[in-house]
Amino acid sequence: MTDVALEPVDDVEFPDDVHATSTGISNPKLAMWTYLASDCLLFGGLISTYLLYRNRPGNIPGLSGSDLRASELFNIPFTSMTSFILLMSSLTMVLAVNAVMRRDVERMRLWLVATSVLGAMFLGGQIYEFAEFVNYGLGYTSNVSASAFYTLTGLHGAHVAVGVLMLISATVYSMRRQLNAEAVETLGLYWHFVDIVWVVIFAIVYLIP
Amino acid sequence: MSATIDVDDDSPVHPGEHHDHGPSDGTYWKVFWALVVITALEVSTYFWDVWFGESSWTFAVPLLLVLMVVKFVLIASVFMHLRFDSKLLTRIFYFGLALACIVYLAALAVMNIFTDNGNPWFNDPPPAVTPSAVVTGETTGGGMGG
Repeated sequence: MTDVALEPVDDVEFPDDVHATSTGISNPKLAMWTYLASDCLLFGGLISTYLLYRNRPGNIPGLSGSDLRASELFNIPFTSMTSFILLMSSLTMVLAVNAVMRRDVERMRLWLVATSVLGAMFLGGQIYEFAEFVNYGLGYTSNVSASAFYTLTGLHGAHVAVGVLMLISATVYSMRRQLNAEAVETLGLYWHFVDIVWVVIFAIVYLIP
Repeated sequence: MSATIDVDDDSPVHPGEHHDHGPSDGTYWKVFWALVVITALEVSTYFWDVWFGESSWTFAVPLLLVLMVVKFVLIASVFMHLRFDSKLLTRIFYFGLALACIVYLAALAVMNIFTDNGNPWFNDPPPAVTPSAVVTGETTGGGMGG
């Protein structure tokens, strides 16, 4: 371990990065931000598709399917609760990042576990919601509206699931080997992005009629 | 079980050395409670038509969009550290976001989501099916282009 005294450098948050890359930003962090920017396009496409098809139940001539729409089955109080859970997980994630910056590994683990538990609770809520919809007769192939809804929210759920796996991996890894603080920070970026996407989905898909 | 963090000389981030640059835990809690209040306000709009009548949606929809943007920016700026990190990261992320918004707003406009010109295939309710229409194939355009 080294003990280096750092001098502030203009517009660079982590001064020692200057020595590592020409941009002053570490490569993993830059890669994660680039990936997140590209993910905006992916989710933008799926949100647009849902907006286009949300009023398209199955009674289109030439097509078969259910007349039900996902928006008719929304349980807003329940989804609000799961949204709050995801919001809370963003707080625990950022507290984990702050803890690792203070070299407080025990607290970092605590917050990482809390984040993964909250993420798993959100996933459980989404599975419950999907199960309810299916019980009402709205399956993935019921109509184009349902397909667009399940694809959008399902892909977001897949992102959350990957995030939970990464959180668990980081926690376990920190118990066995030494953990790079930047890995936790980069993981945090991914997790907050998942939260940000849900902020948009919750408002546009669930709340705006 | 190790209770230390690896800090090698090549590591771009050295924990404990730059923690003063970011917000404190207290700031994160404040932002979190602000987000909770905004979310509660968002959810309350769901009941506005019961409380204030159907016309309240005229105000609720723009308010929801504004609140959504405020939450988005708060999380990106504070929780994701964009406000405290290199401006290059802000440019990269918001460029991707702006590109997505422009591309998809244009696509939605082309596909008739904001207007009603009679195209029945995307935004409008589907056309009524009559037996004669099915037999003659009048309304079974079949294509997504309408």
